[in-house]
Amino acid sequence: MANSAPGPNTHGGTAQAALNAEADTEYIGLLERSLADIDLPFFVRMAVHIDLASRHRLAAEILYQWGRLHYPLGDNEWADARLDEPFSWQAGLLFFIAGAGLTIYFRTEKERMARKRIAETTKGIGRPKVGGQFELIDQNGQRFTDEDMKGKYALVYFGFTHCPDICPEELDKMAGMIDIVQKTNGNVMRPIFITCDPARDTPAVMKTYLKEFHPALIGLTGTWEQVKSVCKAYRVYFSTPPDVQPGQDYLVDHSIYFYLMDPDGDFVEAIGRNFTVERAARVINEHIGDWRGKLDKE
Amino acid sequence: MGWLSSSPAVDAAPAAPKASADGAFEAPDRNARAHCWEARDAYFHCLDRNAIIDSVKAASLAEERCGKEDVQFKTNCASSWVQYFKKRRVVEYQRDQTLKKLEAEGAQKMDGALPGGAPASPPAAR
Repeated sequence: MANSAPGPNTHGGTAQAALNAEADTEYIGLLERSLADIDLPFFVRMAVHIDLASRHRLAAEILYQWGRLHYPLGDNEWADARLDEPFSWQAGLLFFIAGAGLTIYFRTEKERMARKRIAETTKGIGRPKVGGQFELIDQNGQRFTDEDMKGKYALVYFGFTHCPDICPEELDKMAGMIDIVQKTNGNVMRPIFITCDPARDTPAVMKTYLKEFHPALIGLTGTWEQVKSVCKAYRVYFSTPPDVQPGQDYLVDHSIYFYLMDPDGDFVEAIGRNFTVERAARVINEHIGDWRGKLDKE
Repeated sequence: MGWLSSSPAVDAAPAAPKASADGAFEAPDRNARAHCWEARDAYFHCLDRNAIIDSVKAASLAEERCGKEDVQFKTNCASSWVQYFKKRRVVEYQRDQTLKKLEAEGAQKMDGALPGGAPASPPAAR
């Protein structure tokens, strides 16, 4: 019925209102005549509801005023005809909840996409080719290759046992990272220390040295050629001369990064000295959280 | 060491490096490193008190003022470490001076988004 009322009814427009006033009077007259013996006040109230719902506010307003005039009921009964406002506190609350929910969703998605981009820059064409094949021996004299690294994440650090203070500091940080990652995600990351000083860092020396930092640390060494080759694969600066005499005292230059490798053996991210233990562990945990492939948890 | 009242930790020189199971010499362990760093810090505090930055260049002055600490330092640390720490002291001083100068010119400190790792040491002479 409201839809067939002559002339459109809009919210504003006094000119429009004037135009429609005549039509509306006719409309109300129609209403009165046709519904003579129905409970008119109730019906009018209902009509006001309908008109409000269908946005015919002007018609609703006219009806309301006319109704109040002709059927002076308590204000309460007429008041609730106005409850059907398009903007109620429930709608407002829903708006804010939806807004908050969307904001949170977009923010987490954005961060996830950023991490995905980092992780996948190493998987496409033209990626930084860090990592690759190598063959070394661990601190127990067992052969250890890049294949043994796959299946779990790996955190690789290059250093040497005769390092004055930087390697011990970084290894202590690494121990902290290992513990945090283990607590959050379980046994999904292999911490690996590769020496840049194969002449002095034999498996036994590495074993004693690494025991002081963390029991999970794997120490790798090998011949000069093998170490040079793994440093080349990881783009690590390697400066040890090939013909060092036993007992010689020297220091080794090397890059100071932690290299995070994923369970496929691909490079994910390099974590530098400026990262704190907590921040580095958080970065690693986030990458682990993003991983959708198989992950060995033994 | 007598009237020098250094902390007991710096008294005894750490034992000579032992041979490991497969013949190579063991690396300094946590204890030995701690001794070395304490001796280094004692020596550097002495240098600070005497306003000496480069103890290699100003060798005679450093020897005169801080000779005893230097002996402790050399006893507790490998010689390559001694050289490394002395050179790094100079490098760090120069870096701090540069940073101060930049800040005075109004430069803003960036969050360390770029990897800030420096090489472990200047290559030792062979």
